[in-house]
Amino acid sequence: MKNEKIKNILLLPTAIIVLFLSQSVFAQKIVRYDLYVRDTIVTFGDKPKHAIAVNGQIPMPTLTFTEGDIAEIYVHNELNEETSMHWHGLFLPNQYDGVPNLTQMPIKPHTTFLYKFPIIQHGTHWYHSHTGLQEQIGMYGSFIMNKRADDPTFRKGIDDLPTVPIILSEWTDMKPENVHRMLHNASDWFAIQKGTTQSYAEAIKSGNLKTKVTNEWKRMNAMDVSDVYYNKFLINGQNESQLSQFKSGDKVRLRISNAGASTYFWLTYAGGKITVVANDGNDVEPVEVDRLIVAVSETYDVIVTIPANKTAYEFLATSEDRTKSASVYIGEGVKQLTEPLPKLKYFDGMKMMNGMMKMNGDLDDMGMSMSYNQMDMNVVMYPEITGEAKPKTDKMDGMKMTEDDYNSNKLSDIVTLNYAMLKSPTKTTLPKDAPIRELKFELTGNMNRYVWSLDNKVVSETDKILIKKGENVRITIYNGSMMRHPMHLHGHDFRIINGQGDYAPLKNIIDIMPMETDVLEFNANVEGDWFFHCHILYHMMSGMGRVFTYENQAPNPLIPNPRLAQRKLFADDRKFHFMGENDFATNGNDGEAMYQSTRWSIGTEWRLGYNDHHGYETETHIGRYIGKMQWIMPFIGFDWRYRKMEDGEIEKNLFGQESTKDIRSVFSAGINYTLPMLIVAQAEVFTDGNLRLQFERKDIPVSKRLRMSLMWNTDKEYMAGLRYIIKRNIGITTHYDSDMGIGFGASFNY
Amino acid sequence: MKLISKILVAITVLLSFTSCEAQIKNAKTETVKIYGNCDKCKNKIEKAGNIKSIAKVTWDDKTQIATLIYDAKKNNQDEILKRIALVGYDSDKFLAPDKTYSKLDKCCQYDRPKKEIVKTETPKTEMTGMTMTENQEASQLKPIFDNYFTLKDALVKTDGNTASAKAKELISAINAVKMETLKMDEHMAWMKVVANLKEDAEHISDTKDAGHQRDHFATLSKSVYELIKVSKQDTPTYFQHCPMANDGKGADWLSKENTIKNPYFGSMMLSCGKTVETIK
Repeated sequence: MKNEKIKNILLLPTAIIVLFLSQSVFAQKIVRYDLYVRDTIVTFGDKPKHAIAVNGQIPMPTLTFTEGDIAEIYVHNELNEETSMHWHGLFLPNQYDGVPNLTQMPIKPHTTFLYKFPIIQHGTHWYHSHTGLQEQIGMYGSFIMNKRADDPTFRKGIDDLPTVPIILSEWTDMKPENVHRMLHNASDWFAIQKGTTQSYAEAIKSGNLKTKVTNEWKRMNAMDVSDVYYNKFLINGQNESQLSQFKSGDKVRLRISNAGASTYFWLTYAGGKITVVANDGNDVEPVEVDRLIVAVSETYDVIVTIPANKTAYEFLATSEDRTKSASVYIGEGVKQLTEPLPKLKYFDGMKMMNGMMKMNGDLDDMGMSMSYNQMDMNVVMYPEITGEAKPKTDKMDGMKMTEDDYNSNKLSDIVTLNYAMLKSPTKTTLPKDAPIRELKFELTGNMNRYVWSLDNKVVSETDKILIKKGENVRITIYNGSMMRHPMHLHGHDFRIINGQGDYAPLKNIIDIMPMETDVLEFNANVEGDWFFHCHILYHMMSGMGRVFTYENQAPNPLIPNPRLAQRKLFADDRKFHFMGENDFATNGNDGEAMYQSTRWSIGTEWRLGYNDHHGYETETHIGRYIGKMQWIMPFIGFDWRYRKMEDGEIEKNLFGQESTKDIRSVFSAGINYTLPMLIVAQAEVFTDGNLRLQFERKDIPVSKRLRMSLMWNTDKEYMAGLRYIIKRNIGITTHYDSDMGIGFGASFNY
Repeated sequence: MKLISKILVAITVLLSFTSCEAQIKNAKTETVKIYGNCDKCKNKIEKAGNIKSIAKVTWDDKTQIATLIYDAKKNNQDEILKRIALVGYDSDKFLAPDKTYSKLDKCCQYDRPKKEIVKTETPKTEMTGMTMTENQEASQLKPIFDNYFTLKDALVKTDGNTASAKAKELISAINAVKMETLKMDEHMAWMKVVANLKEDAEHISDTKDAGHQRDHFATLSKSVYELIKVSKQDTPTYFQHCPMANDGKGADWLSKENTIKNPYFGSMMLSCGKTVETIK
C-alpha cells in the first residue's frame, strides 16, 4: 500500500514533466552535445608535444544548430587542470558565457558542467577555452548556426550553397606558458627563428643604417607584425588538405573562423575573386575582393567558384608575418597553386615607424585620419603593392605622405577588403530614444616589456565599467600602441560607424591598427559581466581588457564568492615572469636573474670570480616602472661585495670617494632611465655615502645572432662583451671586464 | 714531394668519404614529368626541388622527365613538386601560379598542359581570344577596346615593356577589323579615326619609354573615345580626365572602373583625375 502511494505521488510530476517536454519539443528542438576534454600528444610541428583534444580531435568538433534550437552542451573536464568554454560571438545568458572567475567558476578537474542556452541568432561563430593558454594547444572549434528556411533574410544563391566550416589556427612546439614568459622578457629568439632580427649588419648590407640608428635613437627594438614564431599553420587541423567533393562550376561557401591565438591570416584564392557575404556571423552585402586579412578571432563567410574541370584550386591562408602558410585545395584533380605572398620589407616598415614615432613615445599620425583598416601603414612593407625593396626610396624622406600613400586599393589593382566596404543588408540602427553613453579608450602598450593595456591600466588595476540597461553605449577607441589589436566584446554585437549610415555592419570583433580611431556602438540589452578585451591571447593574459557590468543587476548564482573570483581573475595579469642567465667564463661567472610583473621588477646581478682577488659581488634591485613607456624605474637595492685588496690599495671613484674595505655591504636607492639608443642610465646612492652613475646597453644586435653589450660607471668599472646565440638557451661569449680581465665562456639563459 | 702527394691522397679520400656521408638517407627514387623547355628551366627546376641531403632533382630537358631522389622520412613527391610549381613549372600534380608562369623567361614559357584551366571570368586581361568567341554577337571593335584597356593598365603601372607588347596586339586587332561588316555609325566613326589610331599604336609599340608612350596614349584615347561612344557595350565605360597630365594641358582616358587609376603618372599620382562621362 505504502509503495503504491509513493508511486502515485511520483507519477503526477512525471506526467507533468513529460507533458512539458513534449510541448517544448514541438516548439523548440533541444540539441545536445557532449564534449570530453582530454590531454593528448600530437605531432603538428617537428616533435610530439602535449595538446588538449576534445572528443579525441583538434580542432574541437564543429557544433551545428538552427536558429530557435536550445543548446545543451555538457563539458566533461577529464584534464588534471581547470577549464572553461566560451561561445564566441553568441547572445546568451551571462552565466553561460564561459569566462572563468567572471561569469562562472572554473570547471574543476574531473567534473562536468552544463551550458544550456537558446539559440537566438544565426551565423558563423566559434568556441574556445577561456582558461589560461589552453586555446593555443587545441581548444578551439567551429560553432555554426543556420538560418531557418522561412527566415525573411534567407538569401537565395548564398544561404542554400554547400558550406564548409574552415577553422584557422597555428601550432608552436614550445609550451605556451614558455612563449608567454619569453615575450615578457623581450627575448629575440622568435625574431631569429623568423629571420627578422633586423640587425646592424643586415641594415648596413641593405643600405638602411640610418634607419636602424634612428629606430634605436627613438628607443624602439626591431619591429615586427607579429610576436610569436609558429612551427605550423593549420586549416581544420591540417597544413594541407583537399575538398575533392566539388566540381567545376560549383560555388562553395566557406565559413571561416580565425582561431589563431596571435596570428592574423591573409586569405587568397587561385580560382579568382573571393566574395565576402558575412562577417562575425552577420550578413553583409556581397563584396568581391582579391584578398582579405582575418583578424585574430574574426569570422568571415566567403563564396569561391571552381572555374575549370579536373582542377583543385588552392585557398591559401598565410600568416601576417608571411613566414609560413596553410592550404586547402578546393575541387578534384591537379592542384592549381596561387602565388605565395612575398616576404615583408622590414626596413621600409622600420622607416615608416621612425616617421610616426615621437621622441616621447607617442605616435604621430601626421595629420592623417585613419580608421576601419582603410589605410594600412604596413603597405610600405608589401612588395606586391609597393614594389620590391629598393635601397633608397625616394618618397619617404621629405615629401609629406598622405592618406592615399597607405591605401592599398588605390596603390594597386589588387582589391583588399577593409571595414568600410562592409554593409549590412538590413537596417541596424539602435533604439532612437535611448540615452547615449559615451566612452573613450586608448589602446596602450610597449613591446619592450610586453605590457598591453587600455589607458595604461590593466584589468587588475581598474574597476568594472558600469552601464545601464537600455542605454546606447558608444565607444571611441584610439590605438596609440605600435601593434594592431582585435578588440572583442562578449555577449553583444556592435555596429561600426564606417560610413554606411543606417546599414552599418554588425560585428563583435574590431581590428584596430596603430593610430586608427574607430567608433562603435551597441544597445545595452542583456545584464551581466561582459568581458571586452584584446583577443590576442598573450595580450589578454597581460591584462589588455575591461569588464562591462550593468547597474543593479542580479547576482550571478554561479559566482558564490565574488571577491575570491575577482582575485583569481586579476591573478592572470598580476603574474610575475622569471628570467635568468649565467655566463660561465674563464674569468668568472657573470649573470642575472629577474622576476618581473606589469609594474614591478625584482632583479639580482652577480659577478663571481674564481679567487679572492677577483672578488665576489652581487647587486639586488627592487623597482617599479613608471609611465606609459616604462622608461623610468626608481628602485631600492642591496649590494654586497667581498674582494681581497692588496695592503694599502685604495679604490677611488670619479667623485673622489674612497673604498678600502674587503667586505662592503650596503643598501642603496636609485633610478633607472632608458636613454635614446636604448642605453640604461642608472644613478644610485649607497648607505655608506658613495654615489655611482652607470651607463649600460645590452644586446645590441650586431648581426643576426651576434649581440654586444657595453657598460661603464663612475667606479671606473667597465665591461664589453659579445654573445653569439646558438640555441634558445645557449650562447658562446667573450667579454672584457675591468675587474676580472678577458674571458671566454658559454652562457645559459632561461 | 712524396709526403705532399700522400697528404693530397688522404685529403681526396677524406673528401670523397664525406660526400658519401652527405648522401640521402632512406632514399626513394621516382621519375615524374615536369613541364619546361630549356637549360634555364633545368637550373630553376633543380634548384627549387633540391634540399641539401634531403632531396635531389635531376631534370632532362629533352624528355621533360625528372628523377627525384629523396629521404622518404623527411620529404615526399608532393612537397618537391609543389616547390617546383611555385617557381613556375607545372607537373601532373601541381600547376604553377599564373603570375609566376608569366614571369618566366620567354624560352621557359612552355605550353601549359591543362588548357581548360583558362579562366573564363577575367575578360579584362590576356584572354581576349576567349571573350571574342564568347561574344560573337558583340561588336567587332571589342578586341580593340580590350587591348586598349590592357594597354592602359600597363601604363598605370608605368610598365613600358608590357605597354609596347599590348600596343602590338592592338595593331593586329585594328588590322583584323573587317570594315564592311561594321554597323553604319560604327563604320563612320571608324573611317574617321583609323589612321590616327594606327599611328599612335605603332608609336607606342616602337618604344619602351613610358613617357613617350603616354604622349601618344593621350591622342589614342581620344580616338578610342570616338569609337566607344557609338559602339554598344555590356558594361559601362568611364571617360576620365586629369588636368595635370600632358604638361598641364590635361589629358583623358577610358576605364572600366569608376575608381581613378591615372595612366599618365604611374604611382606618383595614381588617383589624380575624375570621371567626366559615363558611357553606357
